[in-house]
Amino acid sequence: MGIIDLNGLEVRFGNRVVLDGLTGELQGQAIGLLGPNGAGKSTLINTLLGFHVPSRGTARVFGLDSQRDRAQIRGGIGYMPENDSFIGNMSGVRFVRYMAELAGLPAAEALERAHEALFYVGLGEVRYRKVNSYSLGMKQLIKLAQALAHGPRLLILDEPTNGLDPIARQRMIHLIKEIRKEGSVRLLISSHLLHDIDETCDEVLILKSGRIAALCNIEEERRSNRSFIELETVGATERFSVSIRGLGCECACFPGGRIKLVIPDNIEARDLYVIASEQGVQIRRMNRRRDSLEDIFLRAMDNEAGRADHVSL
Amino acid sequence: MSVYKHNYRAYAGKITPAWTRVLVLAKYGFAEAWSSKITVGLFTLCLLPPIVFLFGIYLANNPLARALIGSRESRVMVVDARLFLVILQIQSWFALALSSWIAPRLITFDLADNALPILLSHPISRFGYVFGKSIALFTSLSVVTWVPGLLLFTYQSYSSPIPWAAANLHIATGLLAGAVIWVALLSILGLALSSWVKWRVVATGAIFAAVFVPAGVGAIVTGVLRTKWGFLLNIPFMMSLLWRRLLGAPESATVRYSLPTGAIAVMLVLACFICAAMLNARIRAREVVRG
Repeated sequence: MGIIDLNGLEVRFGNRVVLDGLTGELQGQAIGLLGPNGAGKSTLINTLLGFHVPSRGTARVFGLDSQRDRAQIRGGIGYMPENDSFIGNMSGVRFVRYMAELAGLPAAEALERAHEALFYVGLGEVRYRKVNSYSLGMKQLIKLAQALAHGPRLLILDEPTNGLDPIARQRMIHLIKEIRKEGSVRLLISSHLLHDIDETCDEVLILKSGRIAALCNIEEERRSNRSFIELETVGATERFSVSIRGLGCECACFPGGRIKLVIPDNIEARDLYVIASEQGVQIRRMNRRRDSLEDIFLRAMDNEAGRADHVSL
Repeated sequence: MSVYKHNYRAYAGKITPAWTRVLVLAKYGFAEAWSSKITVGLFTLCLLPPIVFLFGIYLANNPLARALIGSRESRVMVVDARLFLVILQIQSWFALALSSWIAPRLITFDLADNALPILLSHPISRFGYVFGKSIALFTSLSVVTWVPGLLLFTYQSYSSPIPWAAANLHIATGLLAGAVIWVALLSILGLALSSWVKWRVVATGAIFAAVFVPAGVGAIVTGVLRTKWGFLLNIPFMMSLLWRRLLGAPESATVRYSLPTGAIAVMLVLACFICAAMLNARIRAREVVRG
């Protein structure tokens, strides 16, 4: 059983089908939810929280039905919404304590955890200031603090880096990685920023027009893909490419001395330098890259087969 | 987590029962309502009439005190259903003022900063949310309506030289029922209107308007159509009639029109349903665009 089980989940707003027969089992430590605007990411999160009633199918979180057992599910979830959501005239610590008490912590423990959560996310020094005096980055952090304070089993982060400057974004990513590393919390992170998902998640669910375009383990996908090397060379490029083909590499030459090659596992970059030296070719630049999440995402967006319920890339 | 280590740690302590979450909302709502100096000022004002009536009841039951202040009247005032009706009416209108100030503070802060998605992502239902806020408002309004009313009744029962309480118990039950109906109506009306208006001052005005504007419309209907049924829009008139009947006070000779109790009850229930529908439409974690 996965953390989240979707079984033919369909959600309609009036006549519009927003989620269309989603089926899949999400079981990663940190699950990324990707998709273009309007793909249904936030609707899926809201359905998991019991805010929307499925018109067909079911969604289960920790084996509990999202509608029938929603109170139980919500007790084990920490939710950080995408948009501003707080009580502005409360101090930071009072707001987080309030949310922790609502989640079921006794008042004294809630206060203690509120202080700890605020220090943890880096708002310790401003915890007695009113929330509406916080900067945008601080408001994102206090949403994270309230989601963490009661020690949830599943942390749902909807666009956690939205509107953050690069430093604040890095801090948020660092916090998410730390929470993931700690191990007691599963994460569901919705974002349209591939890089954020790439850095923090080990499994990704890609939605397109309310359907699952891809559901895959990022690490496994990377491992299954071969590594590419892009070279920029000066000199006898043609002869050099013939020689490296002799090593067993697949190779393609482009104008301007650019060579793109796929190297077998037993060939090292050093071998390329040795051949280049022997033939008097200068290697000006070497980029080693594997399939990025961007490649996976773009393939899923283009993939007509992605219209099937469950697609493995 | 720990303040000095700055590490995350899971919570493994005890969890409060689910039904107490409503009380958490009530507790924070109550604290929010009473954090304002205006609330405290209004509350103090609300307690002045009961203090005056307390003094009056004291004088009414104590000939020596009357002599000391030089009163020649054998009775300063008659303590009966009419007196408690006056007390209830005065306190009820003070309660309206208090609710128009408190109710917007309970709801609009949550709506203005879009706090509902976070609040409702916790194990609390939409009904639980409204119920928790209602408890805070109901408690605040109770303190200025039936609580002082019953305290005055108890004091009168204690200080009366003749057995009084047993013969007038209907006054206490009528006062309690009348005040509870009014406070419940004010609570749901205040929360419903506050949920639709993000600005607190406007919400305060809207609560007053919801009570008095239909009364004006009702008066026009009554005047133009020459029918008593226009008074069904007049909440103050209906409540006065209801209180009078609940306390067993005689109907005033100056009142030209009267309404059946059943019709009043139907109108009050209808008003509550409309308020519930308004709350149902607004108290949501997400605004759903249909189409």
